[in-house]
Amino acid sequence: MIHVQNLRKEFTVHQKPPGLLASMKSLFVRDTITKVAVKDVSFHVDKGEILGLIGANGAGKTTIVKMLSGIIHPTSGSIDVLGFNPWQRQHNFCKQIALIMGQKAQLWWDLPAADGFLLLREIYQVPPKEHQEMLDFMLDMLDVRDEVNIQIRRLSLGERMKMELIAALLHKPQVVYLDEPTIGLDLSAQRAIRKFILEYRDTVQPAMILTSHYMEDIERLCKRVVILLNGQFVYDGPLQDVVKQFSTHKIITVKMHTPGNIPQLDPKIELLEDNGDELKFKVKTEEVGAVSQHLLANICGADLSVGEVNTADVIETIFSDSI
Amino acid sequence: MIPRLFFKIVNLELRKGMSYRVDFWVNAIVSFFAAMGVMYFLWDSIFTASAQGRIGGYTLEEMILYYVLVILIAKLVRGPNQMVGIADDIYKGSLTKYQLFPTPYLVFKYAEHLGSLLPAIIQLVIFGILSPLIFKFPDAMTITPITILTCINVVMLANLLFFALSLPLQLVAFWADNVWSLIVMNHFISGLLGGAMLPLELFPDWAVSLLAYTPFAYLYHFPVRILTGHIGHQQLWMGIGVMSCWILLLAACSWLIWKAGNKRYTGVGI
Repeated sequence: MIHVQNLRKEFTVHQKPPGLLASMKSLFVRDTITKVAVKDVSFHVDKGEILGLIGANGAGKTTIVKMLSGIIHPTSGSIDVLGFNPWQRQHNFCKQIALIMGQKAQLWWDLPAADGFLLLREIYQVPPKEHQEMLDFMLDMLDVRDEVNIQIRRLSLGERMKMELIAALLHKPQVVYLDEPTIGLDLSAQRAIRKFILEYRDTVQPAMILTSHYMEDIERLCKRVVILLNGQFVYDGPLQDVVKQFSTHKIITVKMHTPGNIPQLDPKIELLEDNGDELKFKVKTEEVGAVSQHLLANICGADLSVGEVNTADVIETIFSDSI
Repeated sequence: MIPRLFFKIVNLELRKGMSYRVDFWVNAIVSFFAAMGVMYFLWDSIFTASAQGRIGGYTLEEMILYYVLVILIAKLVRGPNQMVGIADDIYKGSLTKYQLFPTPYLVFKYAEHLGSLLPAIIQLVIFGILSPLIFKFPDAMTITPITILTCINVVMLANLLFFALSLPLQLVAFWADNVWSLIVMNHFISGLLGGAMLPLELFPDWAVSLLAYTPFAYLYHFPVRILTGHIGHQQLWMGIGVMSCWILLLAACSWLIWKAGNKRYTGVGI
């Protein structure tokens, strides 16, 4: 449903050094630089799939989403979404997509959500019966029926985000872009939104792209991820394989029969957790054998097991190594 | 865009405009009385000092009537706070929301612009009724049901003309980010050359002849003079023709600027 080939986006931005003199100079002459936000990225998303787009701030995730929804024009490369070129913004294309931005309100600030939903019904020309059924389903699912007649600006952040989700999905889009949909929300609101997204995916079977800085969003919703570093594509595949491909460390867990008896160990061995009777060490993959022997030799009466570093830590390491 | 959707947007905006009661009354009372107070005392002093019964063909009563009407009609022509709505959408990235809709953005914004006129219409009715009780108007009033009906139609056209006039300037925001100075300039120039500050009869004859071919003269002065029965049939049709030509020309320019500007849009803020 979504096919992206060699996508590239460059921005020309003004540069101004600090100080009054530089400000005055910029009134006449401005220095510009070209920033490459996205470098030759290719991927595809199938019907019913939720693809996680992962990257640090400035990696180019939102720029890709903007190009896929037709908001900005790519510098080069091709995009095919449901057979349309998004940039042409044909009405039949717009009727089948939705973009949910966690950091930007799309509903009308001064009006109750109910008024906004009615206008959206007209904009997307959804038959009244179908609209009402979908609205009832979503209001109940997200538990915001009592808030639907309150002005948007008077709702809490969580309630507002739920209304934004409803507004974006009322017309049953076949392609959904979720740009940090749980940003700033408390844990229960995050959980409700994740559950709702999965329910929508199961019911409508759209192609979805999710960007989020919360690894829990990615782990719960996406089976496949694309990792971006400074606008460049570094990985496209199953989430669980990220660890295999990028992890340079293993976790050694030592379960002691006699708690509290930690001997002097080699300072190069990084102790991650100390839970009294259980110790966790982070060890370079190639040193696992040697460290295991060292631990067994120094800790009397203990069981030892070797496991993987968790996905979030691996991804964090990929990002930090790129800085 | 289907008419039903257009009217839904107008309707939604009408309700938004009535959400802020304090703002509505402060805007209504302060803006009208402040502007009218300045004009009344200024022209009263000018007429007293000049010791002339008429200036530019107006008696003091006719001049006061002109300003009452021009202040109320200008609110309908300009609309409240909509002069920078499109530029703001571009600058703040709110345009993104509209770009995702399967509707033409500029038509959507015009529907919003029309919807935002309700407070101005209510103010027009209130002060239209109150003004004759507060100010002294000419004894022989030339306002008739026919001139009122004609004026309503011309004000609608003038509203579209003002929207079309501000559109290319607002779209400059694609390049310049902040276009406030352009909008203020447009507000000032259109006010001066459109008769909102001075009746055009006070300008030299050559300037009046020249202004007849510009869009400005038809924004405020023309509807007021129609309402007071000073525009004949031929002048009326010629005025409507000039307004229509300008609207088409400005719409074409705006379309070209919109097409070019869209390629520069970066959707900041998301």
